[in-house]
Amino acid sequence: MHQTLLTVAIIGYVVATGLALAYLVQREELLHRLASLATLTAWVLHTVALLTLAFNLGRPPLASMPEAVSVAVWVVVVLEMWIERRSGLSVLGAFVLPVAVVFSMQSTPTRSLIGPTLSGAWLWVHIGLALVGIAALVLNFAGAVMYLLQEHQLRTKRPGTFYYSLPALATLDRLTYRTLALGFPFLTTGLILGVLWAGTAWGSVFTFDPLALSSYVAWAVYAATLAGRATGGWHGRRAAYFAIVGFAVLMLTLGAGLFLPGKHGG
Amino acid sequence: MALFVSGLSHRNAPVELREQLAVDEDKLRELLRDIAAAGVVREVIILSTCNRVEVYAVADVPGEARATTFRRLCRHRGVEPSSVEAALYTYTEGDAVRHAFRVASSLDSMVIGEPQILGQVKDAFALAQSCEAVGPALHSLFTQAFAVAKKVRTETEIARHAVSVSFAAVELAKKIFAGLEGKAVLLVGAGKMSELAARHLVEQGAFPVYVTNRTWARAQEMARTLSGTAVPFDELSTALAAVEIVITSTGAPEPLIGRDMVQRVMHGRRGRPLFFIDIAVPRDVDGAVGSLDDVYCYDIDDLKQVVDANLRERVREAHRAEALIDREVGKFLARQGDVEVIPTIVSLRERLEAIRAGEVKRTLARLPGALPETREAIEALSTAIVNKILHAPITKLRESSRAGSPRSWLDLVHELFGLTRR
Repeated sequence: MHQTLLTVAIIGYVVATGLALAYLVQREELLHRLASLATLTAWVLHTVALLTLAFNLGRPPLASMPEAVSVAVWVVVVLEMWIERRSGLSVLGAFVLPVAVVFSMQSTPTRSLIGPTLSGAWLWVHIGLALVGIAALVLNFAGAVMYLLQEHQLRTKRPGTFYYSLPALATLDRLTYRTLALGFPFLTTGLILGVLWAGTAWGSVFTFDPLALSSYVAWAVYAATLAGRATGGWHGRRAAYFAIVGFAVLMLTLGAGLFLPGKHGG
Repeated sequence: MALFVSGLSHRNAPVELREQLAVDEDKLRELLRDIAAAGVVREVIILSTCNRVEVYAVADVPGEARATTFRRLCRHRGVEPSSVEAALYTYTEGDAVRHAFRVASSLDSMVIGEPQILGQVKDAFALAQSCEAVGPALHSLFTQAFAVAKKVRTETEIARHAVSVSFAAVELAKKIFAGLEGKAVLLVGAGKMSELAARHLVEQGAFPVYVTNRTWARAQEMARTLSGTAVPFDELSTALAAVEIVITSTGAPEPLIGRDMVQRVMHGRRGRPLFFIDIAVPRDVDGAVGSLDDVYCYDIDDLKQVVDANLRERVREAHRAEALIDREVGKFLARQGDVEVIPTIVSLRERLEAIRAGEVKRTLARLPGALPETREAIEALSTAIVNKILHAPITKLRESSRAGSPRSWLDLVHELFGLTRR
């Protein structure tokens, strides 16, 4: 049941992505409305799918990487819809939804639980917080990409599609800053809980695990960007480059969780 | 009775001809009265701008009406009619409606999307109204044209992007800073164009304005007109540090603002962007300045490039507007068609109702002892028969009007049911 719902939801996200990209190029209001509608519909189906899954499993659907990624996609879409509504940034979907679709392709829960060591409320909190952090950082990445595209347009002085459809540099810089400020505390708390939990469950904080290691690197990149922003001087293009680097490491982290053997799965 | 529009515009007539034929307001009143007196048109509106002279009219014999109108127009303006004849275009019925919508929506303008034309069409309409030259047909056509023009403006981006250099600069500033509220502006050198650009920026909330010039008196004068502050010329780099937008337009033979100067200024800004609008030729800002982080530097050619891109954007939006107008013309004609067939439908109903009522009365007179139920049944029966008979012809009339060819059907129905023309 949930599998069918999930498949339909993913198809919905693909359709929404297509419409959002068409809107980016055509700037036809109708396309934007259709894209929003498709996104919302797919998200509702996704919600029902996750609830059904949780009900069937009798636990949060967070215990395997594919399950967790599916929940991350769910949070990404919530954030996308929320920020778009609040800021009127109608092209946001065109940059966020493709990422959500790529994630979704990996989220079909075919693999089983990570291991018998997984239990306890703290673990769910660890995973949940980390996922919200990651979702906010997906938005951070989308903001950075938009910033760089608009910056490029303004520098080359040849207005094209992006010049017309993307908002002002200041708006995009604010978006990347705010999404980072939102995602970072979640990521940090999630990681700390993970480390503490690893200390008790695996016996050591420094057990070799590709996902854990990679996530420390990602955290360091984001921490540096945030520090740079807070103390001044880091903004705009540089901050955007760092957001993209941070996101790349984050992708490696998830990739490690999905495909490499380790304590987190594989 | 037919609607037509006839005239000449920038598309097919040279400016020499247009200016000869253009009519000012007083003359226009005179001309409208003259044309009305000739008795060839039922309704008429004349639109005269520097880019077009057009006559919108409703007449029984459009060909004759057109010829008479333009003969009078030429006589008024002292123009040889034969020289005008070749440049004239004429549209009738649906095409005339489309033309009116396109003109009012600024799709037929020299600069697509320019805002003045709608006001000019409204003025022409008001003037003709004051001369009592407007009847129901032109009234509904023009009020609809105004509504369509508004719709085109809001539903397409036809007028959204700047097509003048000074507005393009404002638009760029908005693409960098989002809102311009509280963004400080520095004018280096004083010129008409930089003053215009500064005014546009101030209208969008930019504040405060600083002015500097080699000639202190000029700086003070310009500062006064813009309600700004004059700054001594040798404090240029200090002033740069305090502002977000710089407009330069001096006559200096060499660049005044070099890369090193701006680099030093940027150091203390903590990443606040700086936008140079350099409209001086030769340029006041060194080309290398634009390669610095957070510095955007547009010279006059760059701004023209943006204007060109915006014009292409308008043309693209114009295609969407044309589709919108197509739909609106269809709707308008359908409504017009309904207006045309409704009187016939009404008289058809009245005629059959009169027959029915008469026959029922006679029948009931022959049945004095009939029960109320019987009377009711007879009423209901007769009404049902009339409605059934009417259904097909009324549907056919409505359909024919939607298809745009109600004439022959109207005649047929009048003939068949013996209706009299009103």
